[in-house]
Amino acid sequence: MVRSIMNRRKRKKNSQPQQHKYPQNLSKQLTSNVNNLKQILGEPHDLKIRQLKLGEGNITCAITYIDGLVDSKTVQVSILANLENAKQLPTEGKELFQHIYNKLLSVIHVENGKTMDEITLPLLSGSTLLYIDGVETALIVDTSGGEMRSIEEPVTETLIRGPREGFIENLQTNLAIIRRHIKDPNLRFKTHQTGRRSKKNLVVAYVDGIVNPALVKEVERRLQSIDIDIVLESGYVEGWIEDSFLSPFPQIMNSERPDKVVAALMQGKVAILLEGTPFALLMPINFSNILQSAEDHYERWIIGTLLRGLRYFAAFLSIFLPALYVSLLTLQPGMLPSMLAFSIAASREGVPFPPLIEAFMMLFTMELLQEAGARLPQTIGQTIGIVGGLVIGEAAVQAGIVSPIMVIIVALTAISNFAIPAYSIAISFRIIRFGFLFAAGIFGLYGIILAYIMVNIHFVNLKSFGVPYSTSFAPFFKRDFHDVIVRSPIHQIKDRPEYLQPQDTVSMDNQGEKK
Amino acid sequence: MNPFPYSDEAISENELMFAIPSTIMGVSILSLPRKLALDTLYSDGWISLLLAGVFFAILAVIGTKVASKFPNQSYFSYASTLVTKPVAIGIVIIQIILFIGLSAFSIRSLAYISQQYLFEHTPMAVISLSFLLVVVYAVSGSRAGLFRLNVMFLPIILIVTIIIAVFNITWIDLKNFLPLFKTDMKGYIKGFQTSFEVYIGYSIVLFYVGLVNKPKKLTKKVIVGMSIPIISYIFIFLVTIGVYGNMVTANIELPSLELAKRVDIPGGIFERIDAIIFTIWTMAIFNTASMLLDVAVLLITSVFKQIKKRILTFVLAPIIYYLVMLPQEIHQVQTASILLSQFMVYFTMVLIVSLFVIASIRGVGKNEKKS
Repeated sequence: MVRSIMNRRKRKKNSQPQQHKYPQNLSKQLTSNVNNLKQILGEPHDLKIRQLKLGEGNITCAITYIDGLVDSKTVQVSILANLENAKQLPTEGKELFQHIYNKLLSVIHVENGKTMDEITLPLLSGSTLLYIDGVETALIVDTSGGEMRSIEEPVTETLIRGPREGFIENLQTNLAIIRRHIKDPNLRFKTHQTGRRSKKNLVVAYVDGIVNPALVKEVERRLQSIDIDIVLESGYVEGWIEDSFLSPFPQIMNSERPDKVVAALMQGKVAILLEGTPFALLMPINFSNILQSAEDHYERWIIGTLLRGLRYFAAFLSIFLPALYVSLLTLQPGMLPSMLAFSIAASREGVPFPPLIEAFMMLFTMELLQEAGARLPQTIGQTIGIVGGLVIGEAAVQAGIVSPIMVIIVALTAISNFAIPAYSIAISFRIIRFGFLFAAGIFGLYGIILAYIMVNIHFVNLKSFGVPYSTSFAPFFKRDFHDVIVRSPIHQIKDRPEYLQPQDTVSMDNQGEKK
Repeated sequence: MNPFPYSDEAISENELMFAIPSTIMGVSILSLPRKLALDTLYSDGWISLLLAGVFFAILAVIGTKVASKFPNQSYFSYASTLVTKPVAIGIVIIQIILFIGLSAFSIRSLAYISQQYLFEHTPMAVISLSFLLVVVYAVSGSRAGLFRLNVMFLPIILIVTIIIAVFNITWIDLKNFLPLFKTDMKGYIKGFQTSFEVYIGYSIVLFYVGLVNKPKKLTKKVIVGMSIPIISYIFIFLVTIGVYGNMVTANIELPSLELAKRVDIPGGIFERIDAIIFTIWTMAIFNTASMLLDVAVLLITSVFKQIKKRILTFVLAPIIYYLVMLPQEIHQVQTASILLSQFMVYFTMVLIVSLFVIASIRGVGKNEKKS
C-alpha cells in the first residue's frame, strides 16, 4: 500500500499537470481588469457586473459576482446599498479604496486580491469582487450563499432513537453541526483544497489532545498525494487514501450522521468532510466498527447489547446461509435431521437444477431486485416489490423452477443483509457471499471453512491507516471489549478504544470515580 | 511512519503464548487416544501424556531461555554464535527439511480425514491442493498476521474441544477408568514415546522468541502456552476412555472424532455434528500447517537473506505438494510421520540442551554484554 502511494507520488513528479494559471497582476485600469476577467471566464452570462460611479470624484467602480453562488441579499444590502448611500467619499482612488475597505462594507470577511489567480478562485467560490478604477487591488468580499438543501434526516442511516439531523452538501453547515456537538476549543478543522479543477474545500476534523498525532500526520500525508482534477464525492478521496484498493472490504467508513462522526472524533478517530457531499469519512476503522450502529449507545445497554448480538448473527446469516444450505443439501445431507431432510427433498421434487445453480439464480435475482429498487423513482418503487415478491417468489415456485425453501433462504439472507448498519459493508458481504456459495458448491463444509480461513487471513493482513482490520480481537485489546460485542453500561465505558492509541485514554473525568 | 506501533511486524508475548498451542494442536489429537490406549491399560495413558507434556514444557522453557539471551536476533544468527556457522547451517537445513515435511504431513492427514468424514468422491489431490493454497496464502502474508490468526482461531478450537467433552459427559462410564495404575513401566515408556508425536510444535519458541517485542514474562507465557495442549489432550483422552473404554478406543481409528458423533445438540437442528466439528478442527490443522511452514520460511530467509518471503513461499508450495502426494497409502503416511516426529523430537531435544549448555558454559548473550 505504502508502495502504491509512493508510485502515485512518483508519477506526479514525472508529469506536471497542465494548469491554467493566471499569475498576472491586476492593472490600474478598471475596464481592462473587467475585460480580463470576462476573457478568463469566457464571458459567461451568470457573471454579473455592475458598474457605478462613486462620490464627487465620480470614480468608477465595478461589482462582479457569479449569480447563484452569492447570497444576493448580502450583495444588495451590505455592499450596494452602503456604497450608494455613502456620503463624503474621498475623491482619490486609493483613499476611496481604504475608505470602502475600512468603513463601508458591512460584511465580516473582506480580503485583498492582487493577481488574477487570487481573485478568480474566491469569485468562483461565491465571493463578490469590488474593483475601483485606478487601484491595482480588488476587494474580495465573502458573500457566499445561494440555494442549499435544508438539514434533513439522513436517508441512508435511519435510527429510531437519536438526532434527526443529517449532513448536507454545505461544508460550513456541516462543520457548524459538529461544533454544536463538541464545544471543545481543541476541536480542530484543518482545511485542504482538493481537485486541480474542482478546488473543493476538504476539512480534516479531529480533537486535539485525544487523537494520536501520528494518525493525523498520516492522513494529511495521504491527502497531499491526491492528484485528480475533480473530486465529486468523498468516495473519490476514499479511493485515493485507502490502504488496499483490492480488498472487498471498506477501510474507511462513511456516514451522513453527525452524531456518528462526533462519537468517532471523541474516540480518537479522524473525520474528513468534503464540500458538496453529505458523506463524511471516518478513519481508521476495524471489523467490529462496521457492525456497530450509533443507536447501540442511545438505547439502554441491554437493548444495545442484544441488538448488536442480533446484528452479528445477521452478518453471519448474510454471508453463510446460502452456502450452508447448499453444502448441507449436496455434500453433507447426513447432517440434517431425517424429518427435515425429507421435507426438503419433497419440496425440491421436480426442481430441475442442482442446489448450487438454484441458489445462484435466486441470489442473483435478489441482487437485481435490490439494484433496480435503488434506481427506481419512489413512486414506482412499489412495483418492484410486487414484481419481486409475486413473480420471483410465487411464480418461480409454482413453475417448479425453485423450491419454496430456497425462496425462504434467499429472503432470510436478504433481510439479514438489510440489518447491517453500513451500506458499504453490506455490499462487501453481498460480494463474498457468492464466493462462499461457490466454495460450498464445490467442497461443501470444507469449502466454507477454507473460504472462512481465507477471509480471516485477509482480515489480519488488511490495514486501515495502520490499524489491522482484525484489531480488538487480534491484536487483542482486553479493555476495548466493553464495547465490541457487548455494549457495556455507559458508566462502564471509561476508556477510549486502545487500538486507536489516543493521547487521552480515559473518557471520564475523575477517571470514572465518583467524587 | 506507522501511527500504531502495535501493528508492526513484531509479535507480542501473548501472541507467542497463543501460537504455541495453535502449533502443537493439530491432526495428531484426533488419533491420539487410540495410540495411547494401545500402549497403556485402562485410563493410565494420561500419566504418559502428562509426563511427556511436562518434559516438553521444560524443554520449551530451556529453549526460551537460550533464545532470550539473544534478544532481537534470529535463530540462525545466535546458533552461529554458539556452534559456529557451518554447524549452524547444517542444523538449520535439517530443521528446514523437518518442518517442511511435518507441514506436508499435516496437510496430507487433513486431506485423508476429510475425505473420510466429509466427502468420498473428491480426489485427495484436489482436497490437499486447495488446503495447501490457503496455507500458502497465509504464509505469504505478514508474519504478524499469522500470529493474529492463531489468536483468532485458538479460542474457537478450545470451545469446540470443550463442547465435545461437555456433551459427552452423560455417556461417561466411571468403570472404564478403573482400575488405576495397572500399566507396567514399559507401557508408560511406550506411551511416553507415543506422546512425543503430539507435542512436536513446542520448538517454535526457539525461532520466534527473537521476534517478540519487549518480552517481560516470557517464561511464564511459554508455560501457560504449553499447558493448554497438555490439559486439552488429557481432557480429551480421559473423556474418550470414559465413553468408550480402553478396548474400544484402541480399535477406533479416530476416537476423538468419534466422540463428536455422540454430541447431540438439543432442538434437533443438526443430526450429525461431527462433520461440523471436524470442519472447525480444520482451523486447528490450518494453524499447525501454516506455522510449521512459516518456521521453514523463517529459517530459509535467515540463512539466505536476499530471498523474498513471498517468492520463497510460492517456490516451496509445489515442493510441499509433491511431498503431500508422495505416499500412496495412509499407512505410509503414518510410518513417515512417526519417523519424522521421532527424529524431530530427539534432534530438537539434543539441540536445545546442547545449545543451552554451550550458552551457559561460554556465557555468551545478554550476560556477556553486561559484563
